[in-house]
Amino acid sequence: MKISKTFTNTFSAVFAAAIMLSATSVFAQTNPKLSDPEVASVAVAANQIDIDYSKIAKEKSKNADVLQFATTMATDHAAVLAKATALVKKLGVTPKDNAVSQKLYADAEKTKKDLRAKSGKAFDKAYIDNEVAYHKAVISAVETLLIPETENAELKKLLQDILPALKSHLAHAEMVQKAFNSK
Amino acid sequence: MKRSVKLFGFFLLLSALVFLLNCCNSSTPKNTPEKHIVEIVQMKFQPEVLHVNEGDTVVFINKDLFVHDVTEELHKSWTSKPIASGSSWKMVATQSVDYFCSIHVVMKGKIIVNKVPGK
Repeated sequence: MKISKTFTNTFSAVFAAAIMLSATSVFAQTNPKLSDPEVASVAVAANQIDIDYSKIAKEKSKNADVLQFATTMATDHAAVLAKATALVKKLGVTPKDNAVSQKLYADAEKTKKDLRAKSGKAFDKAYIDNEVAYHKAVISAVETLLIPETENAELKKLLQDILPALKSHLAHAEMVQKAFNSK
Repeated sequence: MKRSVKLFGFFLLLSALVFLLNCCNSSTPKNTPEKHIVEIVQMKFQPEVLHVNEGDTVVFINKDLFVHDVTEELHKSWTSKPIASGSSWKMVATQSVDYFCSIHVVMKGKIIVNKVPGK
């Protein structure tokens, strides 16, 4: 619960910052809030963070459903990273570190520490609760921040193409979470 | 006289044509197995529900960014094993089945098999 809250807070903070930046840029008639290299950096961070969580789950969990979910997360997010890496290379874009990606990594460090401190069923529940909250936050960020901010059509299409997978991951995580809660 | 010969010739030609068409039809049984395509795209099996005749072939084409599989849902009695992006897998439909992707367990589909008499 604490972990889910951390994520909700992270993205609330990110969105608050984005909204403020948006307002500023609208008034100043300047460039968009995030450039394409910055969007690429946020996308890489969001995928890498979930791969890192899955590694912890594989180390700590003995629950078959959790392990299966973690394997799917590792495989799918690695596939997205590979697609994104190939695309930015093709476009000649270098992902640019920014406030959003830095905040994501910083909060992920806290979450990983909290997860590592747990074991057994408490870990399984914390991991799945976090995955539900994380995917909700990432879906929202992709839909309302990253896609609208992206100028390059191919990068925008990649972000649109990964949305169904993120939604499927969320439904999968909620299914495992529901099974835990009904036990 | 000439006209009746022409008419006779025309009917002869027409009869031959009808005979030939019948021959072709009878040499192709009505229950010849067909091939059906299920596309895997954007985390969905399309179509989700497929009606086929017994013995038809169903080809699953993975057009998604991710690896998927096709697995019998109730007992996991058979599976395609992982189908890479851009690859395909085929099966012969012998009975109706609920299937899912065991990698993305919320992805589901159904094949409804119409039994063919005499098979």
